[in-house]
Amino acid sequence: MDMTTNNKPGLHPGGGGSAADDLFTFAEYRHAQAEFTASTEYSYWRSVWRNFLRNKPAVIMSFVFIILFIFTFVAGVIGNYRYDELRPDNKLIFLFPNDEFWFGTDNLGRDYWSQVWYAAQTSIKLAAIVGVGEILLGVVIGLVWGYVRSLDRFFTELYNVVNNVPTIIYMTLIALMVGQSFLIMAVSLICFGWLPTARNIRNMVFIYRDREYNLASRCLGTGLWRILWRNILPYLISVVVLRLALSIPSTIAYESTLSYLGLGLDVNTPSLGILLRNARSYFLDFPYLLIFPAVIVSVITITFYLVGNAFSDACDPRNHL
Amino acid sequence: MLLYTMKRLLQSIVTVLLVVTIVFLLLRLLPTDYYFTEEQLIKLTDQQRHDQLAAAGLLDSPFVQLFRFYEDLANLDLGTSRRIQHGVPVTQVIGGKFLVSMRLGLISLAISLFLGVVMGVLQARYKDKFGDHVGTAYTVFVNAVPTLITYSLVLVIGARLFKLPSMYSVRNVARSSILPVVCLSLTSTAGYMLWTRRYMVDELNKDYIKLARLKGLSSRKVMYRHVLRNAFVPLAQYLPYSMLLTIGGSLLVERFFSVPGMGTLLTDAISRYDTSIVQAVVILYASLGVLGVFLGDVLMTLIDPRIRLTSKGNTR
Repeated sequence: MDMTTNNKPGLHPGGGGSAADDLFTFAEYRHAQAEFTASTEYSYWRSVWRNFLRNKPAVIMSFVFIILFIFTFVAGVIGNYRYDELRPDNKLIFLFPNDEFWFGTDNLGRDYWSQVWYAAQTSIKLAAIVGVGEILLGVVIGLVWGYVRSLDRFFTELYNVVNNVPTIIYMTLIALMVGQSFLIMAVSLICFGWLPTARNIRNMVFIYRDREYNLASRCLGTGLWRILWRNILPYLISVVVLRLALSIPSTIAYESTLSYLGLGLDVNTPSLGILLRNARSYFLDFPYLLIFPAVIVSVITITFYLVGNAFSDACDPRNHL
Repeated sequence: MLLYTMKRLLQSIVTVLLVVTIVFLLLRLLPTDYYFTEEQLIKLTDQQRHDQLAAAGLLDSPFVQLFRFYEDLANLDLGTSRRIQHGVPVTQVIGGKFLVSMRLGLISLAISLFLGVVMGVLQARYKDKFGDHVGTAYTVFVNAVPTLITYSLVLVIGARLFKLPSMYSVRNVARSSILPVVCLSLTSTAGYMLWTRRYMVDELNKDYIKLARLKGLSSRKVMYRHVLRNAFVPLAQYLPYSMLLTIGGSLLVERFFSVPGMGTLLTDAISRYDTSIVQAVVILYASLGVLGVFLGDVLMTLIDPRIRLTSKGNTR
């Protein structure tokens, strides 16, 4: 850019008469031009979106995911039985899938279709809540942890203490002391899940915190939150998106493990884990008890995983333009 | 180096103590009813229960109990089990279990390390070819599908097609260990594959590899002598950790196949409220974790002389 645009002509001593005046004239100060830096055509999110749309498999998979997700709500309505009206019936146990019971019946003679879809819905709901909560808490604390040096010691020690005990111990204690329900499960998963995210963010903040532009910004008196929010966070968007994308399938997996061990949701809130725990003794003889929930949940987690990865790639500014 | 080791060890001891103190106090927050079986709760009068608890010193304030616990710990006494095996020293209870977990864990670690690294190397070597895509599909599958489902599938396939036992049994250890080992290795192989491939691909783009190629080294030699050696450094860091943690066992696999190992012991101990076992197991897990990370750092300096722990200690 032309140097002279930054200087108002009036500031220069006007020495008339020399030959230089003929060759060089002071440019007029124009505000718009002074602020002009580079192509303004570039918009970050529009670029992300364009990059994502270019990835055809990911687009198709996100459609699959969305349709399945919506279907978890629809399925309960179009099935022959409502989930909350299911009654054990001795005459109907272990029926293979047929016209009336689309996914067959379980060991108590209850319709499996409504159970599977309800469980899938519960698992997704829990995973979404936990994933978002974990990321919000993890990002905010991770930013502060990485940026404010005096807090590093405290959080590192906290991380060591929490990370060195199998989470299962905390989960069991919570299950015994507080009880088991959807809300308790969500809160406690968030409470123990934000730490790895925060740690990851902290390590990333370390890379950017002392770059020159941040030093300059600090010298000019920019406040803590503004630096974190405007200067550092934009660099981390693709990492944050990736963590969110990985957190949802892993929460579904973790929830099913915990529920299988009897430490997760209570038996009356069927989730994937509860369903498989009930089916564990029977699915060797009645494989459909395993196959239906397994396929549905796997398609959901795999599509989400891949779409999340693709979206995170699209978020990385290095892949733009 | 010696000074650094001492400092690090001291820090680790503090961490372990902190962890066990927290768990100790948390356990004491529960009502004392949990100390008894349901049968005992019905049979015993309030007075009898009170006497029993008082005799075991469980009615003192948690802090008095905590100090008594520290004293015992200093004498290397971890106490006796209350509910799981009444009156048996904790060390004995754990001693019977950890070999089971460790054997399964070490076998599957060996399998997955070998398979994972070899497949990762092959994937990196034939990057973007068909085999690479198959490998990536496998890692995605393992990472995205809930472990419980993967294990269930292994169980159904193994039991129905190969007629393998679906439960672990002490009488037929070799055959009934197959499915648990397959489950354990299936998941961790994917991890080793993923990271080996990732580090190899990163390493492949570096200048010294180009030089090695220009010198006329065969592709195989470049891969194993140069790339793998460098790519293995970050992997080596986690090796001691995962090796030590095999002692801890895998909760889900052990519960799934009814393996009488450490993983099941922990959940049993908590749900049946066997406090001294929980504390001992927590100490074990925490010290293994801390020790594993430390040994990982040491191993890394041995493999890669460029890494020094002493200067790194400050920046981490």
